[in-house]
Amino acid sequence: MIVNTKWLKQYTEIPFSPEELEEKLTFLGLEATIIKNPADKIGDVIISEIKEITPHPNADRLRICRVSTGTDEMDVVCGAPNVKVGQKVPLAKVGTTLPGGITLKPIKIRGVESRGMLCAEDELGLSDNHEGIMVLDENAPVGTELRDYLSANGVSFDIDLTSNRPDCASHIGVARDITLLTGKDLRIPEIEFTESDEPVRNYVDVEIVNTTGCPRYAARVICGVKVGPSPEWLVKFLTSVGLRSINNVVDAANFVLLETGHPLHTFDYRMIDGKKIVVRSAFDGEEVETLDGVRRELTKDVLLICDAKKPVAIAGIMGLANSEIKDDTTDILIESAYFDPATIRKGSKYLGLQTDASYRFERGADPEAVIYAINRLSDLVVRLAGGSVCQGVIDRYPRKIVQPEITVRFKRVNSILGIAFEPNWVAEKFIRLGCVITNRDDESITIIAPSWRPDLEREIDMIEEIVRIYGMHIVPNAKSMGIHPDFGAAGDYELIEKLRTRIANYGLYEVYNNSLVNKEFTEFGIQNFVPVKVKNPLSQDMAYLRTTLIPGLLQTAKRNLNRQNTDLPLFEFGFVQHYNPESETHAQEFQKFAILLSGYIEDKYWGYERRKADLFILKGIIQDIATQFGVREVSYKSEQHPHFDRLIMADINETQLAYFGQVSQNYLLKKWSIENPVFVLEGDISNLLQNTKTDKQYKELPVFPGIQRDISILVDLKVKVADVEKLVCNKGGVYLREVKFYDLYQRKNIDKRKKSLTFNLVFQAADRTLQDAEVDDIMVTIHKILEDELGARLR
Amino acid sequence: MNLPERVKEVQNWLKADLAKVNNTFNSVEEFRLKYVGKKGLIPALFRDFGSLDADLKREVGRNLNILKKEAEEAVGQLRERLMANSSQDEEFDYTLPGMPFNRGNLHPVTKTMNRICDIFREMGFGIEFGPEIETDFNNFQALNFPDNHPARDMQDTFFIEDDILLRTHTSPIQIRTMLKKKPPIRILAPGRVFRNEAINSRSYCVFHQVEGLYVDENVSFAELKMTIEVFTKKFFGKDVQIRFRPSYFPFTEPSAEVDVSCFICGGKGCRLCKHAGWLEIMGCGMVDPNVLEACGIDSERYTGYAFGMGPDRITLLKYGINDIRLLFEGDVRFLKQF
Ligand SMILES: [Zn+2]
Repeated sequence: MIVNTKWLKQYTEIPFSPEELEEKLTFLGLEATIIKNPADKIGDVIISEIKEITPHPNADRLRICRVSTGTDEMDVVCGAPNVKVGQKVPLAKVGTTLPGGITLKPIKIRGVESRGMLCAEDELGLSDNHEGIMVLDENAPVGTELRDYLSANGVSFDIDLTSNRPDCASHIGVARDITLLTGKDLRIPEIEFTESDEPVRNYVDVEIVNTTGCPRYAARVICGVKVGPSPEWLVKFLTSVGLRSINNVVDAANFVLLETGHPLHTFDYRMIDGKKIVVRSAFDGEEVETLDGVRRELTKDVLLICDAKKPVAIAGIMGLANSEIKDDTTDILIESAYFDPATIRKGSKYLGLQTDASYRFERGADPEAVIYAINRLSDLVVRLAGGSVCQGVIDRYPRKIVQPEITVRFKRVNSILGIAFEPNWVAEKFIRLGCVITNRDDESITIIAPSWRPDLEREIDMIEEIVRIYGMHIVPNAKSMGIHPDFGAAGDYELIEKLRTRIANYGLYEVYNNSLVNKEFTEFGIQNFVPVKVKNPLSQDMAYLRTTLIPGLLQTAKRNLNRQNTDLPLFEFGFVQHYNPESETHAQEFQKFAILLSGYIEDKYWGYERRKADLFILKGIIQDIATQFGVREVSYKSEQHPHFDRLIMADINETQLAYFGQVSQNYLLKKWSIENPVFVLEGDISNLLQNTKTDKQYKELPVFPGIQRDISILVDLKVKVADVEKLVCNKGGVYLREVKFYDLYQRKNIDKRKKSLTFNLVFQAADRTLQDAEVDDIMVTIHKILEDELGARLR
Repeated sequence: MNLPERVKEVQNWLKADLAKVNNTFNSVEEFRLKYVGKKGLIPALFRDFGSLDADLKREVGRNLNILKKEAEEAVGQLRERLMANSSQDEEFDYTLPGMPFNRGNLHPVTKTMNRICDIFREMGFGIEFGPEIETDFNNFQALNFPDNHPARDMQDTFFIEDDILLRTHTSPIQIRTMLKKKPPIRILAPGRVFRNEAINSRSYCVFHQVEGLYVDENVSFAELKMTIEVFTKKFFGKDVQIRFRPSYFPFTEPSAEVDVSCFICGGKGCRLCKHAGWLEIMGCGMVDPNVLEACGIDSERYTGYAFGMGPDRITLLKYGINDIRLLFEGDVRFLKQF
């Protein structure tokens, strides 16, 4: 909503500078921003009058204008086609700097000296218009600076209105709020026209069929108007609030809309059949052409204004082309109504059409402003376009809108806001708001809310008014904050953040990917879930909620690879969703963490050879997470899946903790055009947290030294390290404290179907120093079991 | 070769090697290990000394001890020389880069959210989570957004079904918490939210929120102001100014927007704050009685406040990032900067 100070001042005094007003309105809840006037940037451009025009001796398209500034006359060469003697035009003299940054110098144009320049609007930074020089009003004072002349039209503010304040979508509404601060009077313009003897009922009757959608409808008829251009003051007003002038009748209706906030509609009376207005719901499939030239199909949710035969307007939203005011219109019918907010909103949503009228009706117009607004418009039309107003107003008001009575308890005000207010101060402000006080005692005040404030229905609404007028910014802070022993439970927050930080500390970078993905993303991976689909997606690429985090990471990897970022240690935390009709939201959500590795996982460094991403880095991460969270029983198994070249499942007691693998090179190439090997992991956070144990216990450090033995064996390729470890542990006896696999050797100088495995064993007794001989005996049994069970050969 | 000859030979090597030792740690260490280290030549001679005939022991023992002493003294002198000269070692390149600990990083928005959560946790707020797919009741109706009300336009919504949607704010967590617990309630609700808005440099269809809720007897607007001021000073620095101005949200009344003085220009006006000197950082207000009643809480007995902020926006402001899409692109060059 744009308001202009010159016009606000007609309704109340404003003892503030524009900057003060900007701040005060903002603190009242009307977030205001001064619209910078481009005229402020104009340099010393002066209003001049063209005295004489002579052709340029050397150029057909140029002319020499003799211009006067009142004190001085000079010749200026001009190429604009629209110059005429007597025009008031902006003159930039030699030495002036224009908003574009050009400083005018003395110049000869085709041999004729020009001592300045007549400016077009674009050259002054006022608009993009370059269709000839800017021609000012004939009363523009010659010799004054253009800047001063233009800013005499007041300062405009853009107010970002919240949806609860339709009353302030008008100058009178904003002026009323200003009176809350100033204590000055609000001046509502008087109505001055006189009616003719011709009764309006001879011209029109109104029938409201749908009284829910239209509680009140009023009409007047004005005969003999002359449609034409609007006077300058009206054009300027409309320009100052960002509107274009159309004709005097339409402009007058817009003026009243912006003045009172009440939307009105004007019909060409000759197009109204049967002297009748009927307000009814549209039929499903009924078609109309609105005055923007669009044919629209309606449903019964749309409210129509009809005459005896046909629709003539979509109520509260837009008129129809068939009845709009034309240049030759002479008799007009004015509509002033109160339409039901929900009805207008439904219609506006259905049609995808929001107008100045629908904006106000759907937020709540003032049902009691209907008559004032129609009279104000009639008054203006008669003054601007002549004609005579028929006697009387048709006013159908079948469903009276009753303003609520609200009791405000002073104690309650105090307990909600934390400060006490003087009852007299409260009463005075309520009156300024337009409330009628119906009762008042020591404890409370009872009021009837004004009809223009549909947002005032309850005690709490009035408490908000009190603090808004008092100034939220000056309410003192409380002295303390409530704390309670039960507060502060962090739920899973601490554990989740511990996991997140731990994973980052493996050297991985956290990414955020979009939760909304295309269908193909939901088809990736080892599980098959039905994805959740969005009914109204931004695009088909974002029509589903993700069922796994992996495709998002692959997409991020691809984006990085395209930008030559080849080393990718990435991870993400996020929710995934599966369709589940059993659930309240028809979906089940799981919190996941996922990792993607590709390229090198370390920076280049002179002191070491850096490691490349591989599967066992991911396994190491899972092992470390399990250790960190006290999960003791993770088991691993290898599986096959077309999306993976290698795939390992990590389970806790048969439930999945995570899966990780090398993504199928074939799949990467085909779907993503990625050539580099990529390794991914996805884990389930809730399963991890369910199995988390925080009951760590200290184990005493050994007192006696241990004995270490290495064992290297040659075994078949299919033998697993875990199998060897199990056998070693079986035969290792009570003193075997640790078995650590640490070398894998598999090259040409040993049998091709064999591999060499090396383990480090530590033996230790709690109560004495072990003897070499004891350990030697144990090693013999270990060697033997490995030979017998696995066909291992000692190396 | 017998032992006396070997002692002599080692003595000769010692002299020759001593001349060749560089004034570097490695070279001195190499020399030390070769002669006096546990597996060095001299300890080896001593080991063999044990099996020597008794008549030879006397003389060889003396020579061996002299050799050992010479070697130890040589090592001692070399080390002294090394220490004295180490700072003048021209070949030592102290400019070699140290080992890179590329220890990964949390997303900048995670960092912002965690910082917000940590400050409010110090003030006794617990943390609650909720689902991203929500019911219309939890996301709108219980929060005092009537059907067909223009307030719904404030939040363009992705629908799953007619009354199931992607949450447009984390306020449904407040509703879920109030439905299952009785006051006093003092919680923070962080999480991901969705708005059906075209993607551009200033808006993304996915973003994040942290909301707070406190419901108890006698909770007042003045206490909300206090809480928000403590938070903003901890988060943005103690010199920051804040201001409350009236606003409108269906679920709170009175409602306010909170601005902080621009932390780039200190309030003088700059590009970041669009020359206003203020940055809008959160919305807040007293919980609307309708919301309490929808959750079965007696609004005469209990009052409460709620607040909410966007960590994505705060992150953009804090680091001077001019395009929100960067937060969701995962470019590692971007992620490494935080
Ligand atoms: Zn600034």
